[in-house]
Amino acid sequence: MLNWKFIDEIFLYDGTFDGLLTIVFDCYISKRLPQKIVPKDEYVQNILDKTSFIETDFEKSSKVFEGIHKNICNDALYNAYYAFLSANRSGICDNKEIEIVKFLLKGFVVGPKIMTMLSVSYVLNVFKLRKNMLAEAHKLKGLVRLQEIGDNVFYSSIHPENNVIENIGHFFMKRFPMQNLILHDKNRQIAFLYNTKKYEIIDVNDNITPTITKEEKEFQTLWKTFFKTIAIKERTNKRCQMQYMPKKYWQDLVEMK
Amino acid sequence: MDIEEKLKILADSAKYDASCSSSGSSRTNKNGIGNGDVSGICHSWGADGRCISLLKILMSNCCMYDCKYCINRSSNTVKRATFTSREVADLTIGFYKRNYIEGLFLSSAVIKSPDYTMELLYQTISILRNEYHFNGYIHTKTIPGSSPELIDKLGKLVDRMSINIELPSSDSLKLLAPEKSKSDILTPMKYVANSINNSKLLLQESSSKYHLKPKKESFVPAGQTTQLIVGATPETDLKIMKLSENLYNKIKLKRVYYSAYISVNEDKNLPTLKVPPLLRENRLYQADWLLRFYGFKADELLNEKNPNFNTMLDPKCEWALRNIDFFPIEINTAGYYKLLRVPGIGVTSAKRIMTARRESKLNFDNLKKLGVVLKRAQYFITCNGKYFDKICYFNQSFISSNLMYLERQNLPSPDYFQTSLFDDLLPTKGDKIKCLTGNL
Repeated sequence: MLNWKFIDEIFLYDGTFDGLLTIVFDCYISKRLPQKIVPKDEYVQNILDKTSFIETDFEKSSKVFEGIHKNICNDALYNAYYAFLSANRSGICDNKEIEIVKFLLKGFVVGPKIMTMLSVSYVLNVFKLRKNMLAEAHKLKGLVRLQEIGDNVFYSSIHPENNVIENIGHFFMKRFPMQNLILHDKNRQIAFLYNTKKYEIIDVNDNITPTITKEEKEFQTLWKTFFKTIAIKERTNKRCQMQYMPKKYWQDLVEMK
Repeated sequence: MDIEEKLKILADSAKYDASCSSSGSSRTNKNGIGNGDVSGICHSWGADGRCISLLKILMSNCCMYDCKYCINRSSNTVKRATFTSREVADLTIGFYKRNYIEGLFLSSAVIKSPDYTMELLYQTISILRNEYHFNGYIHTKTIPGSSPELIDKLGKLVDRMSINIELPSSDSLKLLAPEKSKSDILTPMKYVANSINNSKLLLQESSSKYHLKPKKESFVPAGQTTQLIVGATPETDLKIMKLSENLYNKIKLKRVYYSAYISVNEDKNLPTLKVPPLLRENRLYQADWLLRFYGFKADELLNEKNPNFNTMLDPKCEWALRNIDFFPIEINTAGYYKLLRVPGIGVTSAKRIMTARRESKLNFDNLKKLGVVLKRAQYFITCNGKYFDKICYFNQSFISSNLMYLERQNLPSPDYFQTSLFDDLLPTKGDKIKCLTGNL
């Protein structure tokens, strides 16, 4: 266990990774840990809570960033970042931020060894969060359906649980370097844009439903035909299908709509 | 005939090929479209629960052979169609651009001659690779009896090649596929295996000589696979497992696929089955995994006395119960391959245990937290010398009845059951309700 003092307080931050690393810095210096760390927007007021807002400080966060790289290992940094992107919907832990902070603080004490300490609950939880996020990202690499909405412009709407857009955006950028891509995360209202040279992640505020081209329509029909034909009737197993392709993704799939 | 009609006919004919994996290729993008993903990506799942990762189609279904089990045999009256090379290439690119698929799986019926068919396949792949600069995954069939020159040409462009053994023995092949001979299948298979091996050696040599990274371009980088039909002929599971073991060890195949026989044709040499033997297929796959990742040998799993797998228990549990003296295994000291022998502990769990126990000794609670499922494993392990429960429980008959009870919940409920000595030992749901209501 860490030799830190737990204080009865809730830390609020701006919801960015830099904000979280700032908190890691503050905790490391003051040797105190809060009960919970919550993004400011998600915090629900409670009369009993004592809260304090931690301002994001890029100097502090970059120091922590380099510190992880130097004193722990790169893999630990990935662990923390991917865990941060996880939505923690499946109830892996109460508060993912505090687990990440504990993981990093312990990491500064023991070094790279932290990556094998799976019997410590917060280390295991960080691994689980990371796995949860990467698993969904991997699934979506297959389930994203790009629709042509103009000359060489491809649009896709997705509804992921975790914040996977950066991860899968990089993947599609490498795969289709000659195509203009728009990946729209409708749960978070953010979009990944790529114009064959550089990429950007922006906030999208209005609900766009673009019109598809004629060629796109033809290919969608062909795909639906193929999808229906390829299943063997004697082996029909809808439960198995649903297990691999949960219903929450169906709204964005051409063949299941 | 329009392209949709053709797609319908030729995808319908291709659906019985089980192979759909897109793993093993790390082709990078060179000023074109697409790349390979080493772990493979599934893009959709059909109504039968099988993943769809490749555009799986035949070039043509106008077959000159008359294999008894096949839907496209020449004596059948089915709709026939043939794609042109350009059509296949355009369809692949169109689907790939929209992220429907990971690549192409091109197979074909034999038209005119094996070499003519191979040439057709080559033309299509050549358009994709050289004209469209497509770097996605491509899997093609090797046509039985085709010449080495064509195999060479095609092998340099594709990621995976496969040639189907179809039936587990040459006698069965003679009976059901009289025009194909054992050597027609095995010669090209061995040729591809040799070429893969040579290209690997060459790459190693050049990289060690000049201290360079090995070049990515090589012969069939994702390896070779095959498929055989289960349940159409009387071979035992032992014979099939022995065959697979040989194929893995001697020809270095990546995978052997098993396909439960589905009766599409009627013939005096074919069995009539109402439902395909899916459970048997499942057991064979389970055993196949044991051969490839768990260090088991076919002889250990089956022997002349028990030549077929038990339908009530999975192959690993069956082996464990037959070799109960091997257990219990101490979680904190046993080696990797010893851990893998425990029913319920797989590759992931074993690796996790190996990592976690470096830091601290593990007990049953730790195992649960690590995500090791103890449902089966609890009977075969000790943690720090302690059993999971009272020691008197750990005898063969108790364990086997419990495991069978567990397994039965996973099995599809059949119309009848073979009676077993242990059936009555465990209370059924009805018994429990009777106890509660006092209605005995």
